[in-house]
Amino acid sequence: MTRVPGKGRVDLSQPVEFTFDGKTFRGGKGDTVASALLANGVHLMGRSFKYHRPRGPVAAGSEEPNALIGTRRGPGRYEPNTRATVQEIWQGLQTNSQNKYPSLKFDIGAVNDAAYMMFSAGFYYKTFMWPKNFWHKVYEPFIRAAAGLGVSPTEEDPDTYASRNLHCDVLIVGAGPAGIAAAKAAAGQRVVLVDENAEAGGTLLSEPQAVIDGVPAWDWLASELAALKAAGVKVMTRTTAIAYYHQNMVGLCERLTDHLPTLPADTPRERLWRVRAKQVILAQGALEKPLVFNGNDRPGVMLAGSAQTYLNRYGVLVGKMPVVVTSHDSAWYAAFDLQKAGAKVQAIVDLRGTVRDDLLAEAKLLGIPVKLSHTVTATSGRLRIRSVRVNPTSPGKVGARVEIACDALLMSGGWTPSLHLFSHTQGKLTWDAGRTTFLPAATPEDCVIVGASAGAWGIEAALRAGAAAFGGTAPTVEHDRTGSGVSQVELPTDLNAGRAKAFVDYQNDVTAKDLRLAVREGMSSIEHVKRYTTNGMATDQGKLSNINGLNIAADALNRRQPEVGLTTFRPPYTPTSFGAFAGYHRGTHFEVTRKTQIDSWAAENGAVFEPVGQWRRAWYFPKTGETMDAAVLRECRSVRAGVGIFDASTLGKIEVVGPDATEFMNRMYTNPWAGLKPGRCRYGLLLGEDGYIRDDGVIGRMSQDRFHVTTTTGGAARVLNMMEDYLQTEWPDLNVWLTSVTEQWSTIALNGPHAAKLLAPLVEGVDLTDEAFPHMSCVECTVAGMPARLFRVSFTGEIGFEVNVPAPMGRALWEVLWKAGQQYGITAYGTETMHVLRAEKGYIIVGQDTDGTVTPHDAGMSWAIGAKKPDFVGKRGMARPDLVAKGRKQLVGLLTEDRSRLEEGAQIVFDPDQPIPMKMVGHVTSSYLSDAVGQPIALALVEGGHDRMGQTVHIPMPDRTIAAKITGAVFVDPENARLKL
Amino acid sequence: MLLIHCPYCDETLPEAEFTYAGEAHIVRPLDPSAQTDEQWETFMFIRRNPKGPHYERWRHLHGCARYFNAVRDTVTDKFLTTYKAGEPRPDLESLK
Amino acid sequence: MNKAVSSFVPGVLATSTAATVSLAAPMGRLSLRARGDLSALDAALGMTLPTRIGQRNAGAICLGPDEWMLHADDIVPIVAACAAIYEGHPHSLTDVSGREITLLIEGPRAAELLTLGCARDIDSIPVGEGRRTVCDGATVILWRDAPDRFRMDVWHSFAPHLLHLFETGCRELAAEAA
Ligand SMILES: [Zn+2]
Repeated sequence: MTRVPGKGRVDLSQPVEFTFDGKTFRGGKGDTVASALLANGVHLMGRSFKYHRPRGPVAAGSEEPNALIGTRRGPGRYEPNTRATVQEIWQGLQTNSQNKYPSLKFDIGAVNDAAYMMFSAGFYYKTFMWPKNFWHKVYEPFIRAAAGLGVSPTEEDPDTYASRNLHCDVLIVGAGPAGIAAAKAAAGQRVVLVDENAEAGGTLLSEPQAVIDGVPAWDWLASELAALKAAGVKVMTRTTAIAYYHQNMVGLCERLTDHLPTLPADTPRERLWRVRAKQVILAQGALEKPLVFNGNDRPGVMLAGSAQTYLNRYGVLVGKMPVVVTSHDSAWYAAFDLQKAGAKVQAIVDLRGTVRDDLLAEAKLLGIPVKLSHTVTATSGRLRIRSVRVNPTSPGKVGARVEIACDALLMSGGWTPSLHLFSHTQGKLTWDAGRTTFLPAATPEDCVIVGASAGAWGIEAALRAGAAAFGGTAPTVEHDRTGSGVSQVELPTDLNAGRAKAFVDYQNDVTAKDLRLAVREGMSSIEHVKRYTTNGMATDQGKLSNINGLNIAADALNRRQPEVGLTTFRPPYTPTSFGAFAGYHRGTHFEVTRKTQIDSWAAENGAVFEPVGQWRRAWYFPKTGETMDAAVLRECRSVRAGVGIFDASTLGKIEVVGPDATEFMNRMYTNPWAGLKPGRCRYGLLLGEDGYIRDDGVIGRMSQDRFHVTTTTGGAARVLNMMEDYLQTEWPDLNVWLTSVTEQWSTIALNGPHAAKLLAPLVEGVDLTDEAFPHMSCVECTVAGMPARLFRVSFTGEIGFEVNVPAPMGRALWEVLWKAGQQYGITAYGTETMHVLRAEKGYIIVGQDTDGTVTPHDAGMSWAIGAKKPDFVGKRGMARPDLVAKGRKQLVGLLTEDRSRLEEGAQIVFDPDQPIPMKMVGHVTSSYLSDAVGQPIALALVEGGHDRMGQTVHIPMPDRTIAAKITGAVFVDPENARLKL
Repeated sequence: MLLIHCPYCDETLPEAEFTYAGEAHIVRPLDPSAQTDEQWETFMFIRRNPKGPHYERWRHLHGCARYFNAVRDTVTDKFLTTYKAGEPRPDLESLK
Repeated sequence: MNKAVSSFVPGVLATSTAATVSLAAPMGRLSLRARGDLSALDAALGMTLPTRIGQRNAGAICLGPDEWMLHADDIVPIVAACAAIYEGHPHSLTDVSGREITLLIEGPRAAELLTLGCARDIDSIPVGEGRRTVCDGATVILWRDAPDRFRMDVWHSFAPHLLHLFETGCRELAAEAA
């Protein structure tokens, strides 16, 4: 055990057991998987992605690139690529290492490591290009088997996910000293303070030596947090600000159960918060930079600040005989802390020639050997570092090496402000040459970035910056640790740099050599270098690698860093589950499923449903053992021979009311409306301004100033939107108003020779005779005692009625009609039969037989155009040269010679013997078996189709070519004789 | 997600309540049939697509249901102003 | 015609210690559209129509510059009174009683329950006012009757979707407090 008594915040009196690769380990409450494994002396936690090199944690927080594990909590609850450094342990947690076969300690994929040259920069683009036919058979299967980060879960996720909107005055991201000071200063407003860690405190958790306002840091932290909560500040831990969207909307992912041994009822695993803040304070601190040297990825090589965190926050000594290599003062404090905790620091190796006197004095006092102007050139050890190769440096020269035995190597290349969320705001960065880092400059958002993420160094500076955001004052800090450093590219070496494995991006296995190769091969922008090498493209998004990658690329290009540019950070800040984004929208709640009032009857009577827009509609009503084809043929036959009942409630309905209603209708629809008398209805065709068909429907004139407009099911909202657009912005002078009444009415269609007989006894107020109520009539009356709008219309070619009653009465009316219809053998039919019956009559379905490029003339519906009207939407559009040109695709009927059913969407050619690629002259838009015609029928758009009646066209299919004869689009009763009683 | 000020409701509300409706101040000709093909093409298809301030239309669909106009900077995505349908195009200088 | 109707059974639909969602009794609903001088309509309706969007009086809420939603036990007299002035004062009065239902949402965390579906700041709706807004994809009218008591008008076909969300939310909020 490497746990240091009296150190850290882990409660060892509450032991927690978990497994890693099947072996049980023990930690304490407050441990992460990484801290608990390190406490058990385990550094090796995974294999790298490309070379399968052994890796251990290099960091202690969410920036960790190496220690990715799988976590499991019983069936379905497996998640790959979890960072061991943030996953809290709980009793029973099962974890496993990744990218290894057969075992973590012996891995066959590590052969890639030996084949290093083959996997250098751009290998994706180069290695596998030749021979061409090797790609599918050899390269791709090999790459797919070998690559991939972790293993995807295969079972459905049994957890639930949630989302919520939150509005506040101030959102503070990061509950370190800067964030806490800002929250305190902002008190009185609606303040939300979030932190991705299990505990608030940030750097204070790793620096217990600090004394704030005369109080030890941890005591100060506890009392401040209590005071904030008492003041109404919403403090949220385990909550990551994943993205900063427009106008201060920040996405937060709150993890609610991943740390709990048992799952509480009714609690989602994660909750996505959409926070809209008047002001955002970014206080995310800074990330330590690794140093780039040969062998810098060996387990046991770790960031110095992270080693300090493992010691001070978790009470874990990551090595008993560590070496420190640094070019920044901060690592010296790590050395001091570890030495005081019982480690024997073998050496502090500093790249710099001069270091602050107080640091040198403290090192001397603690008995730590110091090597200034020294470099690290290699490390040894297979699964854990065993020694480090250290050489003295002088300008342009690297001296003779010494080998220092060690069990950990703690490195620091200085610190990089965490600018990820700031970058999401399109915030501008400035290059600070002195500190070799980008600093935040202007942002278009109402956002202040404070503390280490703005370059302020030390607890006191962070407190001051946080408080200053709201004009507050900050307490004083004793034992604060400030410092400075010098930035590095690859560390100087006496070895062949071409053979060095000096990693820049640990997760994607990108080395300094890869970056330089990319520049040599012509990549001059950092964006190109990034994509060519994949530097910074792993799941950690280059939190540790981007700045080192930039420095090396800039060095190779011999340009200043701002001229090479920093790659853009994109959301999310850390990997986020799909569940969190989906929230409640899964399963039956995936999206709105609209059902009519009659849907329940259909369900009870065995309907098969189909989605139509947001609606689910009864598709057909199979009897036991009946196929869809058989059911539809039966339904069709029953309607044409007897009577069918159909739920048409989903049709869009718009009430158009006002003195200018007729004028409005004249301007919107192609048809003339002035001559339509109250009590009559007419088929209306709606075009876009481009002259193409947009929608259609039957429109009834209920009274002088009131029209009952119907639209297609899918077009209801779109048509109302279009009408409102014209009314509000082009014709605001018209005295007419539109109201959606789609859901005011349940609409039941009765069709068939017996329809009138069935309905007549139930209707009060109108006689259902051809004289009193001819085809295309409408009236307000009473049906079965219910207030109704009754239409005599037909979309089947049979005698038809549509009864509208207030929606909630729909099912009751349906049942009355169903009962009364038994004597006529009434048959319930669905949308498929409706489609067949209308196709037999050549009635179009907008969106099926038209595709947004079909004019009324193309569709054979010139009759629907009020040619005498001076204007209507689409009139001028229809006169465009291309729309009146010869050879347009026109709607026709097709009858196949072999009496087979065509496939909808199939392409049509004139000459089946022409060479491929053939000239396609149209496509099949609708195709059905037809009981009435006695053979399958189809509708199709065919080039010049109206002038090709009787000609044969060909439909090439994968197995054969089908010949079909062009016919008129009306297959049944072209004289409309069947519409008469 | 943007915040949009509805000039009718006089409230600044989440984009989720609104729908976009294309470039603003494109007036449908009073007599379309008198338009030449070129004029009609311009009305139908030619749009400014500027980099910078853009006069555009939005609809407060899930609110007052009104169409209104806005000036939005297509670079920053910030709304410089919103105003009621029918009101004159505001001068860009006055919005700075 | 046009008596108040609903196919849902009034009563509690979802409840927990956090909030309770129940269905209001059926009522008459009219969509009124008019502009210009409203005094004739005011007289016919026997009320002063509110003119600021979101403002309410006893039976009407202003939803747009020319739009109101009227709730009434009996709409017949309203329809008749408005019809009587139509010639001189054209307007649109459309019965939408069958179109929608009203959910009552109340309880200590009722406002927070709404944040599961509503993107707008619930706190910005004053007590005694209301707003049309969007909740989990559905257009709704949200009436705030008290700090912790709301009504939500929603079209029939969207109601089950919202109700499912509120059921989940009631349980989730209650578990959170536990
Ligand atoms: Zn509005």
